Amino acid sequence: MIKTFIKTAFFAAALMGGSAAIAKAPLQLDSDIFVERQETRADGKKAVVLAQPTTVLPGDNLVFVVKYKNVGDSPASDFSVTNPMPRAVRYAGSSDGQEVVSVDGGKSWGNLATTKVTNADGTQRAANFADVTHIKWILKQTLAPGEGGKLIFRGVVK
Amino acid sequence: MTSKLKYLVASGVISAAMMSASSAFAAGTLQGTDIDNTVSVDYQVGGVAQTQETATDSFKVDRKVIFTVAEATPTGTTNVVPGQTAAVTTFTVTNTSNDTLDFSLAGTQLAGGAAEHGGTDNFDITGLQVFVDSNGNGTYDAGTDTATSIDDLAPDASVEVFIVGDIDISQSNGDIAGVTLTATALNDDGSAITASTDTDANTTGVETVFADTGRDGIEAAGDDYTVGAADLTVTKLSRVVSDGVSGSNPKALPGAVVEYCIVVSNAAGASTATNVAVSDDIGAIGNVTFDGTFTPVMNGTVVTGDTCTPGTDNATYNGGTDTVSGTLNDIAAGETRTLVFRVTID
Repeated sequence: MIKTFIKTAFFAAALMGGSAAIAKAPLQLDSDIFVERQETRADGKKAVVLAQPTTVLPGDNLVFVVKYKNVGDSPASDFSVTNPMPRAVRYAGSSDGQEVVSVDGGKSWGNLATTKVTNADGTQRAANFADVTHIKWILKQTLAPGEGGKLIFRGVVK
Repeated sequence: MTSKLKYLVASGVISAAMMSASSAFAAGTLQGTDIDNTVSVDYQVGGVAQTQETATDSFKVDRKVIFTVAEATPTGTTNVVPGQTAAVTTFTVTNTSNDTLDFSLAGTQLAGGAAEHGGTDNFDITGLQVFVDSNGNGTYDAGTDTATSIDDLAPDASVEVFIVGDIDISQSNGDIAGVTLTATALNDDGSAITASTDTDANTTGVETVFADTGRDGIEAAGDDYTVGAADLTVTKLSRVVSDGVSGSNPKALPGAVVEYCIVVSNAAGASTATNVAVSDDIGAIGNVTFDGTFTPVMNGTVVTGDTCTPGTDNATYNGGTDTVSGTLNDIAAGETRTLVFRVTID
């Protein structure tokens, strides 16, 4: 009976603190998308700014920001961040260039520069941004508790 | 919220990405399409693989209203003749929006000023009407192409639109009538489009942005009609062929043979003249008699000084009326045709 009571109390706590329960996952992830806008300043100079995606039209340049943080109390290691490209977005490169890409739906991975795509006639050609279906960062370093970072890449709305 | 992250990626990489652009639609991703970006992370703690974490960010692709109105190829003025009915100029409306749109159409006339293909507008066509090429054959078919607005033009689709009108019989060579076709984008139910004025981060609804020239959902193109009337001039040449006395330089003595040449010329840039009938009353010349030994000929094209090279087609002499006559072949712009006959001096 006491045992049961304790269990119940534990579940109640878990339910009440819904967000707290999620935060208990040792690694926190956050994905944000911004739109690049050209703005003309008061002095007439044009500047590129990042804005919330209020209106997003074909051809717009998007900036994806993936934030990660170890909120647990143990170091995390061997972690990899995988981001499939949304169907309507063409990949346009990352900020650090450390990612590997897949052009076959995540089956095989490699550097874009050395990745080949097989044409319908069996010949091969070098892959380009438009072929990328997935991108992945394999992060070698250990992430100590409280540590985090962000990964940034670009895309264009098809 | 805005922030500056313009040095994220070297610009060389961006332009390379642009060059390799190859989406299925030139118009781009259709409006209302969700872009869901899901990222996942795999990791280990203490050497033990942990449950994968994921995060998602979503928004909808908004509606970009962009289209063009252009004169259909081949471009250039539309040549018309006085009295022509249903003279047609053709335009192409192309929808490069990422949504299906309707368009209302309006045809207007220039009131003077420079016409599309040079020259100055100086008259209006009558009975101007606008029709859509409903059967898609690129040619105006009266009674078939009856729609006066464009219904449901899909992304990347285009349709031809005709301005049709009549040319008054009083117009003359070189007159120009300029016309303009204006298309206004509408929702696919025919209602007016309202552009979004919302500045909030609306990631769940579809908003509309005008991306056409002027950002107003209205596009226009001009074309013009140029009247090409025939512009004929007639001259009558004569030369003494022989006088029965002189070996050379024959004089117009009694009994001398005189050749008359009627020269009909059509001015450069004019329309081809057809059914040009020429007749000359020899009795009206006076003191000459038709020379029956020389059959009148016509359709010569070469005139050198006062000498016409006779054509090869026969003209007609009517002894009853003492008249030479004939109907010349068609005379195109810049061309000349002649009718030659001979008389003797009484």
